[in-house]
Amino acid sequence: MKNRTKLIRAVPALLTGLSLLLVVACGNVGGTDSSSGGSSGPTITVGSKDFTEQFILGSMYAQALDANGFNGVAKLDLGSAPIADKALQNGQIDLYPEYTGTSLVEILPYKGNPADLNSPRATYEAAKKLYAKRSPADKMLTPAPFNNTYGIFVRSSVAEKDDLTNMDELAQDSKNLTFISFSQFQNRSDGYPNMQKNYPALDFEEIKIVNNLGLRYSGLQSGEGDVGVGFTTDGQLTSDQLVVMEDPKSIWPFYHPAPVVRSDVLKKYPKVEKVLNEVTASLGLDTMRELNGKVDLDQEDPEDVAKEYLEEKGIID
Amino acid sequence: MLSNILEVFARPDFPEKLREHVVLSLVALLVAVAIAMPVALMIRNTRLGAAIAINIGNVGRAVPSLAILALALPLLGIGFASALVALTALAIPPILINASTGLREVNKDVIDAARGMGLSGGQILARIQLPIAAPVIFAGIRTSAVQTVASATLATFIGGGGLGDLIVEGYSERGPEILLAGAIAVAILAIITEVGFGALERAFTPKGLKIAQKRGR
Amino acid sequence: MSNSALLLLQDVLEKPELIDWEWIRENFWEDIVPAFQGHIFLSFVSVAIALVIALPVGVISARYRKVYPPVTFVTGILYSIPSLALFAILISIPGVAIGPSPVIIALVAYSLLILIRNTVAGLDSVPPETIDAARGMGLTNRQILFRVELPLALPIIVAGIRIATVTIIGIATIGAYISGGGLGALIFDGINRQFPTMIIAGAVLATALAITADLLLLGLERYLRPWARVRRT
Repeated sequence: MKNRTKLIRAVPALLTGLSLLLVVACGNVGGTDSSSGGSSGPTITVGSKDFTEQFILGSMYAQALDANGFNGVAKLDLGSAPIADKALQNGQIDLYPEYTGTSLVEILPYKGNPADLNSPRATYEAAKKLYAKRSPADKMLTPAPFNNTYGIFVRSSVAEKDDLTNMDELAQDSKNLTFISFSQFQNRSDGYPNMQKNYPALDFEEIKIVNNLGLRYSGLQSGEGDVGVGFTTDGQLTSDQLVVMEDPKSIWPFYHPAPVVRSDVLKKYPKVEKVLNEVTASLGLDTMRELNGKVDLDQEDPEDVAKEYLEEKGIID
Repeated sequence: MLSNILEVFARPDFPEKLREHVVLSLVALLVAVAIAMPVALMIRNTRLGAAIAINIGNVGRAVPSLAILALALPLLGIGFASALVALTALAIPPILINASTGLREVNKDVIDAARGMGLSGGQILARIQLPIAAPVIFAGIRTSAVQTVASATLATFIGGGGLGDLIVEGYSERGPEILLAGAIAVAILAIITEVGFGALERAFTPKGLKIAQKRGR
Repeated sequence: MSNSALLLLQDVLEKPELIDWEWIRENFWEDIVPAFQGHIFLSFVSVAIALVIALPVGVISARYRKVYPPVTFVTGILYSIPSLALFAILISIPGVAIGPSPVIIALVAYSLLILIRNTVAGLDSVPPETIDAARGMGLTNRQILFRVELPLALPIIVAGIRIATVTIIGIATIGAYISGGGLGALIFDGINRQFPTMIIAGAVLATALAITADLLLLGLERYLRPWARVRRT
């Protein structure tokens, strides 16, 4: 009985003590998220969303800032767009790479249908305007000169057999094909409904829902489906196993990558804009696909891929 | 917001998600019962067998659901079937533990008396052991059922479908309606499962045991 | 049946690319260890906070029975909300930072029901005669609680802690989805990158952690109750 009483008394004390210790000592909870530049200078925290291209872009921005007089900290893989945006607005991060079209669809109170904006410029201007009106205000910087939009890809064997090169031909053939899609795409006005509206012959034999991008590609490879939806800069598209369908009617919104920074950060450190713009301007579609491929196909680390790229371009040395 | 949530339920793909979720849970449960019960029956009279079964069950119970679902991915691929296998594996432990324990703990004296009366092993099983163990067995099935409904939410991560798809979709939305619709649907399903299997448990509790339980023995 | 099992085994063994040992060696300290540390951090802190809340609430519920049903109701509702959804709901609350915090809050919420329930059950299991005897010996209510009731209730309470801990370790894996860190990060990254090695590393370690915690606490449970067989439900 005596031992047990001691145990009773010791337990709460032990627990409180240990948890306080852990809370104080351990900031690091693992995962591919945090990394600190280690430089001196004002700390700028760069966030990112939860897929490969975001990890690379986020790393790039953080490392570029780090080499230019700031302490660039990367907090990658925060989650979906609304989550990254929340981190931005509540000050946990100072900026993160977004896409012009995505911001209109998932974050900003845009009243129209982003698919109706008929140029990348118009899309950017609409987003920039709405971002500036927020509180706290944000600035969407100059977008990169390439469009990371939806890509409808078909297994090469199927595309060859049925002679499919564009969405029209795909729509005609769709009765015999299985489409691997994701929930958001199926239900969003700029997604599958958009496809059906513009290519009315579309009528897939079966539509499977796989919410994870990487898994959609796996699914296609393993034969679970013939057609899938991904994004035009996906690394997997460098493979000759897949063919991206051309979109002659240009039905998708424009999704150009552009960093979104809180305006108060820019006001305090105007140099940030210049550094970020230099990185953004250097990018292109093929480059991005290649970089994505290094992570997704060759299993390299996003941070390393970013570093190599920046060194190659002379942005850092 | 309530109307927006109801709108999600009215979506054409909602019944399918619901159906996927129910089928995943139900089939996993039934197969788990089909695997666990025979094992429990086989070891009911051996102390070593029971100990092994119960220990395996305990260890199995500690395994994180996401871990098994994720492991199914490289081994079995994406999709409904993989998720089903993983969920079945996860559903077995509570049933195995309870069935084994329940059958073992039928009072030895009662069994001896029955043997003395000339009942065969099979008759003892059917007329004495199973009825007495029934409440415990059904409690195990109930626990497993509720746990499986919850775990089936994670099937979305390996392309297995179900209401988890809705919740994940909701993560990328500005407003919480789609997410909440998915969450509420799962919660209601879990509650229905809990209540439904609870009723089943009571239905299979022999009257004599019910009276004994009421008296607090 | 055994034929297809053999085929499956063959298939698995013939896939050497399932585990890339070189990646594991290269990234052990960089990715695997922090994930493991993070997971222990999440789990430990959550169990600790949950106990700090649940034990007093349990003691009060055992004493003032009217409180117990509403308490069970609320914690029961929390328990039935799917973890993915609870995480999202917590993040949407202004002031909640993205990271481990919402995960910890959710983990605490999930474990309250079982901890409170077992605290009450444990206290209920103390024979009234023992309490009477203690009162007869002149102990105050407070002394009875700490020197008689809680010690005797300990085995059942520890059983609850065991279940809560294992549950927490399991659900913490999902917390990686909202950037909460932990071994789930390895799993999700592996899924996103179609890289089985990470998935397997995360899944195996999470399982090992859960089973180890379970066995350790089971040992504690048995130590505290050597005279009775441990009943499981």
